Amino acid sequence: MSRTTSTAIPRSAVATMAATRRSVLRGIGLSGLAVGGASLLAACGGDDGPATGSGATVKFGINEAKGSGPAYDRLAAMAEAYTAETDTEVALNAVDHNTFQESINTYLQGTPDDVFTWFAGFRMAQFAEAGLISDLSDQWPIDGLNDSFKEASTAPDGKQYFVPASYYPWAVFYKKSVFEKNGWTAPETSDDLFALMDDMQGKKITPFAFGDKDGWPAMGTFDILNMRLNGFDFHMSLMAGDEAWDGDEVKLVFQTWKDLLPYHQADPLGRTWQEAATSMGNGESGMYLLGTFVVDAISDVADDLDFFTFPALDSSIGADALDAPIDGFCVASAGKNQDAAKAMVKWLGSAAAADAANAGADAPFISANSNASTSPYTDLQKKSAEVVGAAANIAQFMDRDTNADFANTVMIPSIQAFLKDPDDIDGITASIQEQAASILG
Amino acid sequence: MTYETPVAAAPAPVRATPPTRQEGGVLGKRRGTVATVIIALLALAWLFPLIWALANSFRDYNYTQANGYLSFGGWTTSNYEEAWSRGNFGLHLKNSLLITVPAVLMTLWLSSMVAFVLARFSYRFNLTLLGIFLAANLLPPQALLIPVFRMFREIPLPLFMSDSGSMLNSFWALILVNTAFQMGFCTFVLSNYMKTLPHEIYESAELDGASVWRQYWQLTMPLVRPALAALATLQVTWVYNEFFWATVLIQQGNKLPVTSALNNLRGQFFTDTNLVAAGSIIVALPVLVVFFALQKQFVSGLTLGSTKG
Repeated sequence: MSRTTSTAIPRSAVATMAATRRSVLRGIGLSGLAVGGASLLAACGGDDGPATGSGATVKFGINEAKGSGPAYDRLAAMAEAYTAETDTEVALNAVDHNTFQESINTYLQGTPDDVFTWFAGFRMAQFAEAGLISDLSDQWPIDGLNDSFKEASTAPDGKQYFVPASYYPWAVFYKKSVFEKNGWTAPETSDDLFALMDDMQGKKITPFAFGDKDGWPAMGTFDILNMRLNGFDFHMSLMAGDEAWDGDEVKLVFQTWKDLLPYHQADPLGRTWQEAATSMGNGESGMYLLGTFVVDAISDVADDLDFFTFPALDSSIGADALDAPIDGFCVASAGKNQDAAKAMVKWLGSAAAADAANAGADAPFISANSNASTSPYTDLQKKSAEVVGAAANIAQFMDRDTNADFANTVMIPSIQAFLKDPDDIDGITASIQEQAASILG
Repeated sequence: MTYETPVAAAPAPVRATPPTRQEGGVLGKRRGTVATVIIALLALAWLFPLIWALANSFRDYNYTQANGYLSFGGWTTSNYEEAWSRGNFGLHLKNSLLITVPAVLMTLWLSSMVAFVLARFSYRFNLTLLGIFLAANLLPPQALLIPVFRMFREIPLPLFMSDSGSMLNSFWALILVNTAFQMGFCTFVLSNYMKTLPHEIYESAELDGASVWRQYWQLTMPLVRPALAALATLQVTWVYNEFFWATVLIQQGNKLPVTSALNNLRGQFFTDTNLVAAGSIIVALPVLVVFFALQKQFVSGLTLGSTKG
């Protein structure tokens, strides 16, 4: 194997090699210059002008794609109104809801916008702890946002990192016409509820529509049962990982749920919430426990819908807690224009912002700000605002109140396993506890 | 000697008269019928979801929701109109074009240069180099997500190239990543193809005094044109269909390629599945056009390099 390179490499190649090496070096030198020049240019671009007022620009990342409907229209109207009021230019970055949420980690660690749409609860707190969102405690209090909203905007370190804009409650929806025809009324006690469900079954109507193909809708049922049976405080510490998932309290929740399952549509794992909503819309099912977005799936009967909060199951605990997820805004700490961002986020929590949003879209949201005008609200929303205002405690929904990994990778399959085989409560709760211990610590 | 003179693979001579075929070929008549039925059933199983989606993309959501998907009726084309305007597909198709065309051109150019050297010269590290290219081809892109993301975040770009000031949120990032990930396969295929070119051509070119560059550009490139055409067809569909990197590296809604923009048709809670079906058909159309127009290249591209000369 004694072979010199020259026999293998054609002469022409050897001849050009020396020159090639030199030109490669030259090329490296040039590209080095180019990189250096690039950073110089980038440094020049760092001057963003004034923070607020005319000439300033705030980048605003929103979790609704352009043209996706009222949710986008409301956010765009807010941005427009802010520009009109303060002369600050708002650069809108519209990404669809699911993509935005799924890539939030890379978004915040990459090149995020100054202000972005986000959620209250654990989802906000985990970014506050990681230092990815900015402390907004110097912007609070905000006129018209009461203490419960301030609390929902506060991370465990006691500072506010969030400004709420809107919320929607989870409740039991039904069709007014169906209830009137059968002489039913909204149940106020657990006895009323069971009597109503038995009556419905007697009339060949499935009491509760139910679908859990996507995994998350059934979390709402777990939340409400846990809050009714064990109370709000237990629910929140369970979500935080401070209570045992295989304790008697959680087993009681699953046991009660198991007793209620015969009143629900069978085989929920093969049904999306939209299909379940349709079954209530066409009268096959009597009631549906869901968020107010149920209207989106059966908009043709929207005027016929009404709701009641889930009745008390334990009179010593009552029925004064419910899920009402809050949407709002955060400031990214990697955003370039912190001062302008903070000024804008404070304005976004104001009544003026809510009014601008509701004036700019076909469907209004329920504003978190108590000074916002309620005149554009639908009847359902007026009632929602009343119900949430009267509630003593508000939870955010399971996948917002606890670690997202825990909610999505542990609770979704566990609840689905329970719905498939409701008899194995001990096995399921033991498995949840084991995984909760490793994820929630 | 580790260097072997590549032997020119003479193209298989076309038979003037094909041998008289037995009825049913390899299979007997009965077995042939059975095979046909099985293949037809399998084809139907594959086509069914596509046809199902196509049919439902022309149906009204409220109608299918009320009557179920097994019903018949509620025909409309409004899903397509709405998908086009709501999905903002005009803009996103343009983005896809701006990413796909440079990425494919760069992939083919760079990998043809590597392949040329690997096929025509015998360095000691030749096989190792080809091995590295192949190994990188087997590496799942997900494994490189975090390093690539952090690297791109640290690379500054002038504002006229990327308004985010870094590689993130710029088309450059996607073009580079796609080029890098497709180069392994292209290099492998092209170098195998180039090895089949008769060595004598290069000897005479060498005698005539053609430089290495000239041997590459004016001799090899025209000869590998069929392979380039086949690869270009494949690469266009692969880069166009790429979803993962676009979702990770682009966070600005108006810069997403069309595959990622399909998500625009989903709502936070509510998803009109008929609308999404219509959007999917629109997004799939360019690939289908490329496939049917260049079918010959497509098939030869899939088998390229499987037989080495």
